[in-house]
Amino acid sequence: MKRLIFPVLLIVGILLVAIALPVRAQTYYFSVDESYVQVFWESDGSIRIEYIMVFTNDLSASPMEFIDIGMPNYEYDLSSIYGWINDQPIGHVEHSEYVSPGVEFGLQSNAIPPGGTGEFKASIGRVEGVVFDDYDDPNYASGKFAPHWYDKQNVFGRTDLTVVFHLPPGVEPEEPKWHSAPSGFPDEPETGFDSEGRIIYAWRNPSANAYTQYVFGASFPRKYVTTDAIREPVPEGEFFEPSRPSDFSGAIFGFLCVGGIILAFIGFIALAVHSDRSRKLAYLPPKLSIEGHGIKRGLTAIEAAILMETPLDRVLTMILFSTIKKNAAQVVSEDPLKIERITPQPVGLRTYEVDFLKAMIDEQPRKRRGALQDLMVSMVKSVQKKMKGFSLKETKNYYQAIMKKAWQQVEEAETPEVRSKLYDEGLEWTMLDRDFDDRTRRVFRTGPVYVPVWWGRYSPSSTPVTTTTRAPSTTPSAPRPSISRPTLPGAEFAASMVNGVQNAASNMVSNVVGFTNGVTKTTNPPPPPSRSRGGWSSGAGGSGCACACACACAGCACACAGGGR
Amino acid sequence: MSSFLSRLLPPYEIPRPLKAGMYHWMAPDDAPIPYRLHLRVEDDETSVLIVNAATVVHLNPTATAHALQIMEGASEEEAAQAVARRYRVGRRKALQDQRELREQILTLATIPDVDPVVFLGMDRAEPFGEHPSAPYRLDLALTYRCDAEGELDPLARKRVDRELSGEEWKKILSTAWEVGIPHVTFTGGEPTLREDLRDLIEHAEAQGQVTGLLTDGRRLSDADYLETLSQAGLDHILITLVEGDPSSRKGLENAIASDIYTAVHLTLSPGPIGKSQKILQDLVELGVPAVSLSSSGTTDELFVELSSARDHAADLHLDLIWDIPVPYSSTNPIALELDTIPVGAGRAWLYVEPDGDVLPTQGLDQILGNLLRDPWSEIWAKAQS
Repeated sequence: MKRLIFPVLLIVGILLVAIALPVRAQTYYFSVDESYVQVFWESDGSIRIEYIMVFTNDLSASPMEFIDIGMPNYEYDLSSIYGWINDQPIGHVEHSEYVSPGVEFGLQSNAIPPGGTGEFKASIGRVEGVVFDDYDDPNYASGKFAPHWYDKQNVFGRTDLTVVFHLPPGVEPEEPKWHSAPSGFPDEPETGFDSEGRIIYAWRNPSANAYTQYVFGASFPRKYVTTDAIREPVPEGEFFEPSRPSDFSGAIFGFLCVGGIILAFIGFIALAVHSDRSRKLAYLPPKLSIEGHGIKRGLTAIEAAILMETPLDRVLTMILFSTIKKNAAQVVSEDPLKIERITPQPVGLRTYEVDFLKAMIDEQPRKRRGALQDLMVSMVKSVQKKMKGFSLKETKNYYQAIMKKAWQQVEEAETPEVRSKLYDEGLEWTMLDRDFDDRTRRVFRTGPVYVPVWWGRYSPSSTPVTTTTRAPSTTPSAPRPSISRPTLPGAEFAASMVNGVQNAASNMVSNVVGFTNGVTKTTNPPPPPSRSRGGWSSGAGGSGCACACACACAGCACACAGGGR
Repeated sequence: MSSFLSRLLPPYEIPRPLKAGMYHWMAPDDAPIPYRLHLRVEDDETSVLIVNAATVVHLNPTATAHALQIMEGASEEEAAQAVARRYRVGRRKALQDQRELREQILTLATIPDVDPVVFLGMDRAEPFGEHPSAPYRLDLALTYRCDAEGELDPLARKRVDRELSGEEWKKILSTAWEVGIPHVTFTGGEPTLREDLRDLIEHAEAQGQVTGLLTDGRRLSDADYLETLSQAGLDHILITLVEGDPSSRKGLENAIASDIYTAVHLTLSPGPIGKSQKILQDLVELGVPAVSLSSSGTTDELFVELSSARDHAADLHLDLIWDIPVPYSSTNPIALELDTIPVGAGRAWLYVEPDGDVLPTQGLDQILGNLLRDPWSEIWAKAQS
């Protein structure tokens, strides 16, 4: 029985060769019109490689959905590799299924169609294990490099090929040596310096092809490369050469000549598996894009604070300042914090400001705490509703930029008057900053501060001095009247602001974690237990809400406040 | 011999293109939260997933293949196997992607207010940024009659010479489903004046379409009538409340008490400041979950009122609907805060007059063709031009 099986297997293998090779040949057929490759030899013994290649796909071929680039060895850092097709970033960069070691670039919607041309760029940021002891000189190290090449049956036409070596920083002009150039290239490379002052060797052949392995090399004193990075030499041809893509036909031929029929069978099966795979469709990562608006404008600084995951005690402090600035409330006692409503109440107060004042008037700490929690729950829900349909990420960035701009204006103000005025105007936004306390101290380290008109309502115990100054003029010729305004030394003002903010927060919410938990219990309740989730289950399990809601910050209360739909 | 060969190397099946068309999934009755999915697979194997007739998600071919398995009821493992057969991907990776996609879709469908970009890893696409192969919604003005006496708006009388019969509307509904429109709304005039409304809802629902009703609510004051619409499968109602009309208010109360998702439309007109806030508060107390807002004009005062009403609605935790034609207004509260107002008319939705003429949207007097007389491809091509 065993004797019968062997010839059967051989026949199977031959059939597969006959069927599979033409399929492969018909699928990929293209020219590489131009290939410009730069290799940067770095001091740490690694290299950076940059490819620019212009592909033209044949009219009869399939769309070029992937471009594979071989790597010198397996010591490449995939995360350092980026690709572009026609200057569009390539999202799919993975270890190649066909070139080993190598990387595949999935062109996705930018696949090069039959008859089309595409410019492909790749930056391979780091490959290690590429510098070796030099055979000829123990004081030298050397490296070789062959740019990627393809199966002859898959490519046509000439390639204008340029390979540029950037030698390690510090190498002097008289020190390095180039190795003999491959056939078709000038014996000596062009030499020069790059923008970093590194020596470059450049080889160019406008009539090269994309299926020949061209090997270039250079040697340089080993002192320019970290000693540990220099490897023992290995036999010629076994290092530093990208593997050929899909070169099973060549492998089979070699096996038939040398290895015999058993190896040939293994080769045939490998070919069968490969051909089977090549007939399947390329698998790009599943991608979902949801229709939604971008930035949600029109949020108040306090609503933005909720969105930006500002701690809840800070949010309450922001509301306190907001009501004071609007002349709706004044502090009657700073510690313990007591405020009173100012009558008549100004028009246009926000719902959360009205609710805040109602809560703060209550003398009983427990009831006040409960009312403030209700206020925060309502605010989170309100922001959720407002954000529905808008992008959380873009909106956060937008308000982050407003906060930065507010600080920038304050910091760049040239006079104490202007600085004080801008600080007052942008206070709600600067309070969004996690670094508000320190930054306030830094900004007002020196010089007087013209206290805002609401200062008395905020800090009844402080005693600013009155300073007479000339009002800023809008026109050079206009007379500037003298005005008297209360000032504080900058450091005193900053300390008062920062301490006031901190005291207000701790006065309103003594236990931030407990307070926040009380809010998140309502805004992000855990999902009820259930057997099924409606027909088809999810393997991921756990809470449906993507936020963990375990930390004590507003962000967790609001982590689901995003929109995007 | 052949048996041995086929076992050793089973015949390879070249993957066929994913079948273009509309696929529909409705959560089973015992699902904790009801939801519906429509997957419209295009010829290029991309697709559009419409979640609960509201959320539009674009899928690349690989995601389409995964989603199609879900729509066809495959288990996670079966789906992964099918995907691995079709693509150069291992089964484990396919299973991982399948699970992730299910989680994403399920979360979108059942958990409101989760940001899909931040928390589900999706990309964002501009609304109506691409020309779809068919609109996502068709608004059917069944009649331009507004009351039982059959009074017609003079302009409408001039443009529309007759009302289509029930059978003709069913034909239009069928055409809409065939070309991949997952959502229809019945509007008017007052669509509840059509006695065949229930049949039309039933027909659309039987096909798999999501159905909505835009009404002044008066007829819904008859609880039995509302029940017939509910039994027919009606999914949502948008009531244009007639202020001071008890039957309209009663209709709203009945609708809220039913299991049909009900929203209210308010058209803000010049009047006392804060009037809309009182109305909104009243709606909340009635239990209304969502409102739609537009203004009757384009004065600065009305814009301020509109913005104020929008913010107040959020403070009252009301959802805001902005793209349902009641009448659709370009001065809706969302448009007020966008640099570029997305144009959904002629792309995301079309409007059909009582005689079958198609307009890009309500109120835009540009006839693209007639759904009974002209081929859909011509109508849609005109809408895109």
